[in-house]
Amino acid sequence: MEGNPFHFYTSSNLVELTGEKADTLEELLTLLQRCTGSAIFYHVFQSYRERHFAIEKYHSDFAQWIFNSLDEEALAERLGFLDVRDFITIRNFRETMLQIITDYIHKYPQSRNRQGKTPFYLCQSVSVVMPTKHIAWGLEDFHKIIEKLGIRSIHYHLIEARLRLGIHTNDFSYWLRTSLKREELARRIEEIDIYLYSLEEIRRMILQKVKEEIES
Amino acid sequence: MSLISLMDYEQIIGKETTEELYLLAERSKGRRIKMVNSTAAGGGVAEILSRLIPLLNDLGIDTHWEVIKGGEDFFGVTKKIHNALHGEKISFTQRMKEIFLDVNRENLRDNDLDQDIIVIHDPQPVIYIEAKGRTPAKWVWRCHIDISNPNVEVWEFLKGYVEKYNVALFSSPRFSKKLPIPQFLFFPSIDPLSDKNRELEPEFIDQVLERLYIPRDKPIITQISRFDHLKDPIGVIRAYRAVKRHTDCRLVLAGGEASDDPEGEAVLDEVRSEAKGDSDIHIVLLPPTSSLEINAIQRASTIILQKSLKEGFGLTVSEALWKKKPVIGSAVGGIPAQIIPNLTGALVHSIDGTAYQIRYLLSHPDIAKKLGEYGHEYVKEKFLITRNLRRYLLLFHVLSHPGERIIHL
Repeated sequence: MEGNPFHFYTSSNLVELTGEKADTLEELLTLLQRCTGSAIFYHVFQSYRERHFAIEKYHSDFAQWIFNSLDEEALAERLGFLDVRDFITIRNFRETMLQIITDYIHKYPQSRNRQGKTPFYLCQSVSVVMPTKHIAWGLEDFHKIIEKLGIRSIHYHLIEARLRLGIHTNDFSYWLRTSLKREELARRIEEIDIYLYSLEEIRRMILQKVKEEIES
Repeated sequence: MSLISLMDYEQIIGKETTEELYLLAERSKGRRIKMVNSTAAGGGVAEILSRLIPLLNDLGIDTHWEVIKGGEDFFGVTKKIHNALHGEKISFTQRMKEIFLDVNRENLRDNDLDQDIIVIHDPQPVIYIEAKGRTPAKWVWRCHIDISNPNVEVWEFLKGYVEKYNVALFSSPRFSKKLPIPQFLFFPSIDPLSDKNRELEPEFIDQVLERLYIPRDKPIITQISRFDHLKDPIGVIRAYRAVKRHTDCRLVLAGGEASDDPEGEAVLDEVRSEAKGDSDIHIVLLPPTSSLEINAIQRASTIILQKSLKEGFGLTVSEALWKKKPVIGSAVGGIPAQIIPNLTGALVHSIDGTAYQIRYLLSHPDIAKKLGEYGHEYVKEKFLITRNLRRYLLLFHVLSHPGERIIHL
């Protein structure tokens, strides 16, 4: 036994409709100012999980809508470039998005009230988190469980964890570092670029790195 | 009701997802649920309930199905209410309101409401909420229809009742309203094991196409829909003609006549007249029991269209994507929820756009294949009955934790 065990959880969410929508950039700005943190969390971090099998140009629903519906590609690029790993609270993320959109409208005033092809419907989510039956006591267990773990669990521990823990890491790396003292492996998992790979590819990358650590 | 089990779906959705559903259900075991709708057979809602309810029972959640009883006059009124919610102008008379209220109240008399959760489907039994004080049950209104532009008088009448529910469920963000109660997104779903969607033997597909006189000598472009102006069959033929100038192909327009649509026959005549003289256009009129034939036609098709001018949710898109077919659909109704442009299909706005996308996909089979594959995965994630089951299981927990954004089980 190498340290404290890792308990695997899974998270599912029910999408709540707010009945609010935006047709223009200005209306989106207003929505972003007053919506719940849960709405931002859903549109930036959760909804793309349902498209986990593919790599899209933008993970964030906001960037997607600005690109597809408003044709403001430069703004979509700036929002799409925001990296979850640089933020530990939704508040910081919201403020950064608001600043980027405000600056853009200031620079291109004609973009403010241009009507989108389709509206942006604001949603938020209610998450239900529960433990799975899987517990890892060491690297071998960890490898075996990651192989068969549901994709929602991987998303929960790797991506949602940052905002939950309020730290610049993920659950896997945190456990590897603090419990198993595997600093190098923890760092290598932190370095995985979650924007460039599907969750299945990310699973394979984690497995590869853990396997290399076991064999080293 | 057929005996089906969640385990029947494991090979489709995977072991991990099946396990998660069992885990979610574990804490709801023994709960008593009642679902109420207006018909036991025919129509999408009955089709979904006939599969969903056995699955909930299989998971140990005691779920009953009740069908509201009423005469012709009641269903005449509810049909008018249904059309009005779609935006049609109707005269909503006092007599109609009385019939609607009386039949609901009659059904409530001696009704067993000793439940934990009561789910009312669509407007027909919406007045059941009057019995809220008789039971500690939580009340859910599941609206399956598009109420984005309703007749205001009828909606205002119904809204007074809807607001008394604990939560409301809608099929699309477009359909949600400003309401004082929480609203959740419940997409409609398809059943991968039903005759319309299950895998078919290649020999069976060949037999069906032979029986329908559709040769498989060139690419087949298909639209499955009833013959209705809103599905734009004439637009589909024109798009096909524009493609045919460049690439040889066949067009299949298959579907039933809308029995409740007086214009159905006229539309069919118009379509036949537009197609006259072209032996590569196949107009296939199918009876309502033709699920296996529709399945076979979809599986034999190269590209599937849903070029509607107006659409409810348009689940035929998910049916086609499930079969890994590249789909070109109009950006109306629920179609954009199913087609992510250039990822799970192509969204179009015109006949020209449709023709261009058909030509593009016929000349890039590798891209068409990829769209179909991603489409299949997307449907697996969002539009299968097992996802619907997950939503209900989550809802049961949400109803026990009102106001909480993160629920730890």
